[in-house]
Amino acid sequence: MSWTAEPKRACPADLPEQALVPSDQLRFINRFTVVRADACISCGLCASLCPYGVHKRIEGHGKILSPDDRSCIGPACSVNYFFCVANCPTRSLSVKTSDTYLSMGDPRWTSDMILATWAQAETGRPLPLDHPGNTGASGGGFDKLFFKVPETEVEFSPSEICTSLDLNRRKTGTKVRIPIPIYGGGMSFGSVSVHTMLSRAKAAKSWNTFTCTGEGGYPELLVPYKDHVITQIATGLFGVREETIQRARIVEFKYAQGAKPGLGGHLLHDKNTPEVARMREAVPYTSLFSPFPFHSVYSVEDHKKHLDWAYSINPGAILSVKVSTPNDVEMVSVGSYYAGAHIVHLDGGYGGTGAAPEIAKKNIAMPIEYAIPKVHKFLVNEGIRDEVTLIASGGLRTAMDVAKTIALGADGAVIGTADLVALGCVRCGNCESGRGCPRGIATTDPMLDKLIDSDWGAKRISNLYGAWRLQWCELLARFEMDDISQLRGRMDLLRRADKPAKEVGK
Amino acid sequence: MRHDAISLIESRKWMTSHSRDETAHVQEAEGGCGVVGIASSVALSGRHILRPLIQMHNRGNGKGGGIAAVGLDADQMGVTDRILREDYLIQVAYLKPKVRDALEDEFIKPMYKVEKKYKVETSDDKAFLKSLEVDPPEVWRYFCRVKNGPLDEFISESGLEKMDPRRAEDEFVYQTSFKVNKKYYATSDMSAFVMSHGRNMIVMKIVGYAEEVIKFYKLEDVTAHVWIGHQRYPTKGRVWHPGGAHPFVGLDEALVHNGDFANYHSVSEYLAQRNIVPLFLTDTEVSVLLFDLLNRTYGYPLEYIIEALAPTTERDFTLLPEDKRKVYRAIQETHIHGSPDGPWFFIIGRNCYYDNKFQLMGITDTSMLRPQVFALVDGEVQLGLIASEKQAIDAALSSISSEFPSVPVYADSYWNARGGSYTDGGAFIFSLHPEEQQKNGFRLICTNKFGIPVTAPSDDWDSKEDIALSEILPAKPKANAFGKDVVARKDPGAAFELLLDKLKDLSGAELNNLFSYIAQQSTKSDTAMDEAVEFFTKVIDSRYASGKFRRSRLMQKANEAIAKILRSAQRLERNEPSLYSLVDQDNKNKMHPAHSPYAKLVIDCRGFPMEGEAGVSFLIKSARDMGWNRVVLIDTHGQRFIGAGLGPRSKGLRIDVYGSPGDYLGSGLDGAEMAVHANGQDQLGQILSNGRLVVYGDVGQTFLYGAKGGDVYVLGNAAGRPLINAVGRPRVVINGTCLDYLAESFMAGNPLFGGGFVVLNGMAFDPEGRPMILPAPYPGGNLFSLASGGAIYIRDPKKQVGEDQLNGGRISRLTEADWKLIYPHLKENERLFGIPVEDFLLKVDGVTKPPEEIYRKIEAAPTVTLAGAQQQLPDTGS
Repeated sequence: MSWTAEPKRACPADLPEQALVPSDQLRFINRFTVVRADACISCGLCASLCPYGVHKRIEGHGKILSPDDRSCIGPACSVNYFFCVANCPTRSLSVKTSDTYLSMGDPRWTSDMILATWAQAETGRPLPLDHPGNTGASGGGFDKLFFKVPETEVEFSPSEICTSLDLNRRKTGTKVRIPIPIYGGGMSFGSVSVHTMLSRAKAAKSWNTFTCTGEGGYPELLVPYKDHVITQIATGLFGVREETIQRARIVEFKYAQGAKPGLGGHLLHDKNTPEVARMREAVPYTSLFSPFPFHSVYSVEDHKKHLDWAYSINPGAILSVKVSTPNDVEMVSVGSYYAGAHIVHLDGGYGGTGAAPEIAKKNIAMPIEYAIPKVHKFLVNEGIRDEVTLIASGGLRTAMDVAKTIALGADGAVIGTADLVALGCVRCGNCESGRGCPRGIATTDPMLDKLIDSDWGAKRISNLYGAWRLQWCELLARFEMDDISQLRGRMDLLRRADKPAKEVGK
Repeated sequence: MRHDAISLIESRKWMTSHSRDETAHVQEAEGGCGVVGIASSVALSGRHILRPLIQMHNRGNGKGGGIAAVGLDADQMGVTDRILREDYLIQVAYLKPKVRDALEDEFIKPMYKVEKKYKVETSDDKAFLKSLEVDPPEVWRYFCRVKNGPLDEFISESGLEKMDPRRAEDEFVYQTSFKVNKKYYATSDMSAFVMSHGRNMIVMKIVGYAEEVIKFYKLEDVTAHVWIGHQRYPTKGRVWHPGGAHPFVGLDEALVHNGDFANYHSVSEYLAQRNIVPLFLTDTEVSVLLFDLLNRTYGYPLEYIIEALAPTTERDFTLLPEDKRKVYRAIQETHIHGSPDGPWFFIIGRNCYYDNKFQLMGITDTSMLRPQVFALVDGEVQLGLIASEKQAIDAALSSISSEFPSVPVYADSYWNARGGSYTDGGAFIFSLHPEEQQKNGFRLICTNKFGIPVTAPSDDWDSKEDIALSEILPAKPKANAFGKDVVARKDPGAAFELLLDKLKDLSGAELNNLFSYIAQQSTKSDTAMDEAVEFFTKVIDSRYASGKFRRSRLMQKANEAIAKILRSAQRLERNEPSLYSLVDQDNKNKMHPAHSPYAKLVIDCRGFPMEGEAGVSFLIKSARDMGWNRVVLIDTHGQRFIGAGLGPRSKGLRIDVYGSPGDYLGSGLDGAEMAVHANGQDQLGQILSNGRLVVYGDVGQTFLYGAKGGDVYVLGNAAGRPLINAVGRPRVVINGTCLDYLAESFMAGNPLFGGGFVVLNGMAFDPEGRPMILPAPYPGGNLFSLASGGAIYIRDPKKQVGEDQLNGGRISRLTEADWKLIYPHLKENERLFGIPVEDFLLKVDGVTKPPEEIYRKIEAAPTVTLAGAQQQLPDTGS
C-alpha cells in the first residue's frame, strides 16, 4: 500500500490529564470472586502473602477487610507459593471465576473487553498490546486481524507521537484538527439519555474532538458545547432547523447506518416520551420511523444539491457523509467527494445498540474490513485520496480496532458503543425499551436518567480516550512511527489469524 | 410477427458467443443526471437545446454529455431528401483515428453502399478546445444502404426470408454495428465505436458537459425536429472515453436516462436469454436495448412497451378496465424480469420510419423516483418538452422564443407523469406527424401511455394578436383614455378588474401599449411603482379568461413589465430617497444597510449562478443581515436555495419571487414570508419551521419534507411525497391535487390541539378562470401512509377516496372543531387565490352543503402502546 509522507505534524499538546474515576456499581463486577468463609480467624497471613493487594488488613483493626477481587489473578495463582487459598490455615478462602463475568457480554464484546474498557475508563491507563481485552471472540472481522507487532519493547514519549487527524483535507474551507483520530458517533436524544449526551459532549470538549447529535434534534443543554457537537441531518429530519445547522462546525448527512442499511432510524414508542416527542415535535408514545432514504435525494446529483443546500445555510461547515457499505461503496464514496463532502464516513455492520434489529445487524452490508481497503485503494487510484478524510465506524470497540481500521486505509474512526461501555454499559442489549437500561444510559426514563452524572461520565470517557491514545503511541513506537497518519493503508502490518501470534515482526 | 421475433432472436445467437469476461472493463457506474428533450413542429437549431443543458450544468459533473437529434435537414447533412429518409446514417467515433481504414475495409466497404461519407466538422476555437479535459473523438458520417449480396446472404443465413426485407436490413445494420463495437471497443483498447446508425438521426457525445458537444461538433445551427440532451454525473471520476456517455441507441431511437437500476444484472440476464449482450456496460445501454427488443423484435405497440418497462401495480392496476388488466397481466408475467427496478426516467427520441413520424417521449418508473416535468406549447410553433427540472424547460422556451416570437417563454401547460398509474400510465409521447396543411409540415400531438390526447388548456386565443403581444414592450407607449383610466385607479385590484372587463376586446398591440404605459407611468413615484408591480403581479397570479391571448403570454408580459419597472429603480449604490434599490451582478458587492425599514431591495437575477456563495441565496442573507425587510427577485432562472440560510429570527422579512426559481426554495424558513409568483420546483420548504410560504402555481417533489411549522398555501398541485415526515404544526392548503404519498409519516401532533394539517381541495381553474372540481381529489395511493399525527382534510363530497388508498390512517367525520380550525385558513386561501369558500368549496353541483358533508378528515388510527395509551391524543408535540 502506498501512503504519502506528509511534513511532520505538530504533536497534540495540552491533552486532558487522566484521573481516577471509579464507579460504585462496577466495582463489584470482576473477573474472579474471592470468598472468605466465616471460619476466617483474621490471622492476616493472606494479606502478607498476596502481592496484588487482594487481601488487606489494616493495622489496629480486629478483622481483615473483605477481599478486593478486582486485582485477583484467579485460580491460575495456584502455581504460586503465595496462593492464598492453599496457604490459609483455616481453609476459609476460595477463588473462582465470577458468575457475572461468565454471564456478561457476547462474542463481540467479551467480558474481558468490557472489564478492560471499564478499567481504562476508571484509570486512564492503556492496555498492554497483547491484552485479551483488545480483541473479541466473534471469530470474524477485527477479531481475526492482528498487528504484526515487533516484540521488543521500546522506550517512547507519548508527547513525541502525533495521533491527530485533519477533518478537512481539501485545499479550501475551514481546517479542523483533532488530537486523536476518533470522534463520537450519532446517538440521538431519545435513544440515549440527556446525561449520556452531555457526558459525551463534555468529553469531546476536553479532547477537542467531536460528538454528534444523532437524528433526534439538538437539545439546548448541548448548546454550550456546540463547537464540539456535530449536527446530524438524517432522513427523518427530526429536530433539524437552520439554527442547528448554522451552529455546527461539522454537519453530518446520515444516509444509512451500517447496523441497519436500508432501514431508517427508528425509535420505538416506549422511548418516545413527552420529552423526546417535544424535541422531535412528534406525537408522544408513537413509534418514530425515519424513511430509509432521503426522499429528496435519489441519486448523486440530488446528493450534490443536498450538500449545496447545507452549504447555503452554513458555508463554513465541514460536510460529512455517512453511508453504509453496499457493494459499490467505492462509487458512493467518490460520488460524495465530487459532491463536496469533506468527510466520507463508512459505517460498517458490526455496530448498533440493542435497538437495531438482529436480522439487519447480522445480515446486511459488506464487512467494514473489506469496505475500507476497497474505498481507500479506489480513492488513491482516482488521485483524490489526500483530499478526503475517510472515517470508519461500526463496531470499533478498542484502540486496536481503531488502529486496524487505519492500517486498512481509513484516516480515523467514529466511536459509539465504547463510549457507552465507559459509562458502565454491560451490553445487556435491552436498548430498544426506554425502561430496560439498567445503567440509565439508553433511556429517557426520568428516574433511570439520574443514574449518570455527566461530569463523572465525561471523565470516564476522557480517560478511555487517554488510555487509547497511549496505546496507539506504544503501537506506533513499536513500528518506529511517530505519526498515526503513517499507519494509514499499511495492510502489510496486519495478519489474518485466529489469535495474535507470538513470533512476529516479519 | 411471432415468427419474426423468434427468427430475430435466433439470428443473434452469435452475439452471445463471447464470454462476458471478454468485455473486461469495469462497469460504468451511473449516478444521476440532467436530461432534456424537445419536440418541435418547426426545425429547431441545436443552440436551443444548449440553454437548458447549461442550465442543468450542475446536474452533471463534466464526465459525459451528449445529445441526439432526430428529423434532420437534408441540406445541412449534405444529402438529398431521399438519402436522408432512406439511408442509415451511420456515425463512427474514432477515438484513435488511425484505425479508420481498417474499420472501413472490414465493416463499411464490403457491407454497405455508401452514398455519402464525410468527417463531422469540429470547432476550431482554440481557447475552447484547450478547455476540454479530454479530446473528443473524430466522427465520420456514412449515409448508406446495405449491399444486396451481403444482405441476401444474411437473410438466408439467419432464416429471415419471411420477414420484410427492409426490417431484415435493419437487423443487419444492428448486428454489424455490434460487430464493430465488439471488435473496436469492448474487447480491445477502445479505438472506435458506432455512435448511432438510425435513419434521419444523429447522436453526439463526449467526455465533458453536454453543451460542449454542441460547441465542439458545431451543432448550434444544425436543425432537427426532436432534440434530446444529457448531462452525465457518473460517480466514477476518471472517464477518458465517451462510449459510456448518453444517449445510447437501439436502431432508430436514442435514449437518455436519469437514475440507476437496482437490478442491472437481472435485466442483463433477461436480455442474454434473448441473445442480447450489452457492450458498454451501463444501465442506459441496457435500457435502450430493452426498448429495441420490445419494439423491433417483439413488435409491441408503444403502450405495451411502456407497460413492460414500468408495470402498473397495486391499486392502479385494479382500476384498469378488465381487458387491459388481462393484457397487462400477461405482459408483466412475461417481462417482469426485464423491468428496470429503481429510480429511472427515460427520455427517448426516435424516428418511426415505418409509421412516418418522429417521436419524443418520457417514461418514469412506477414509483416516480426521479424528477420529471412535461410541458406543452401550442400555436404556430408546437412544442413538447420534457426535462428533469422545470426551469430547464423555461430556459429552452426563452431561447426558442428569441427565434420564434410566437413561442411564449412559459409553456401553456406543465405537468408530471404519475408512474405506472391507471390515469396517465406514467408516460407521455409527443408525436410529430407530417402534414401538408400545416405551415411547417408537421403537427405535434401529445398523448399519454394509453393514447389519450393531451392538449393545451385552451386554444381559444388568436394567434395573430398573441404574436403581436409578444413584441418587446414599446419604449414610447402612447397614452390613451383606457390607459389613463387604469393608471388613475389607486387600488391595483380595481385597476386589474378594469383590465379584465376590457381584456377580451384588446388587441395585442393595444395591450402591449397599455402594459408599457402602466410601466412607464409607474416610475413617477414609489407608490406608483408599488401599485404597478401589484397590478402586474395580479396578472401573473390570478386566473381569468385571457381574451385573445394565451395565459402564458400574459404571464410573460407581466413578468417583462415588472422587470422593466423594477430595473428602472435606483441602483443600490445611489442613496436617493426612493425606497427601491436595485442590485444585480455588477453591484452585488456594494450591499449596504437598508436606509429605511420599508426599503425594498430588488435583485435582478440575470447572470447569477445557480448556487454557491456568489449566488442569490447568499445575497439575500447579507441583505437580511443589513436590515432589509423587503426583497424582490426578478428574472430568476433556476437559482436554488432562495430564502435558505436566513436562520432563526427572520420574521418581518418578505421575499417576492418572479420568474422561474429553482429547487429548495424557502427551505428552513423560520419566520420570514415568501411569495412565489410562478410554479415552484422540487424540495420547496424542506424543514420549513415558521413563517409563511405562498405559491401561485404548482410545487414539485417532496414539498415540505420534514417541515416543522409554517402557514403554507399552494394554488396548484404538488408532485410526489408532499409533507413527508413533517412534524410540529405546519398548516397547509393545497388547492389542486398530489401525485402520491401525501403526508407520508406525518407526525404533526393533534391538529385540534396545536398540531399540523393539510387541506387538499382537489380543484383547478378552467380556461375562463372559473374554479372547477377535479374528477378525483386524490387519484394516487399511499395517502397518509404510516402517519402518526396531524390530519388531512380532503374535499371529497362524493366520497371518492377509499380506505384502499390509505396505509395505516383512517377516514373520519369532520367535526365542528375541525371546521373551526380550517375555516380561517380557507378564508385566507380565498383572499390569496380567489377560491371562494361559501360560493364554491362548500357547494356540490350548485347546492350548498354543510362542511361535514364536503370535507373528510384523514387521521392517524390510534395505536395501543403500553406506556402512553392515555396520553396519546390530547398531548401534542409543540
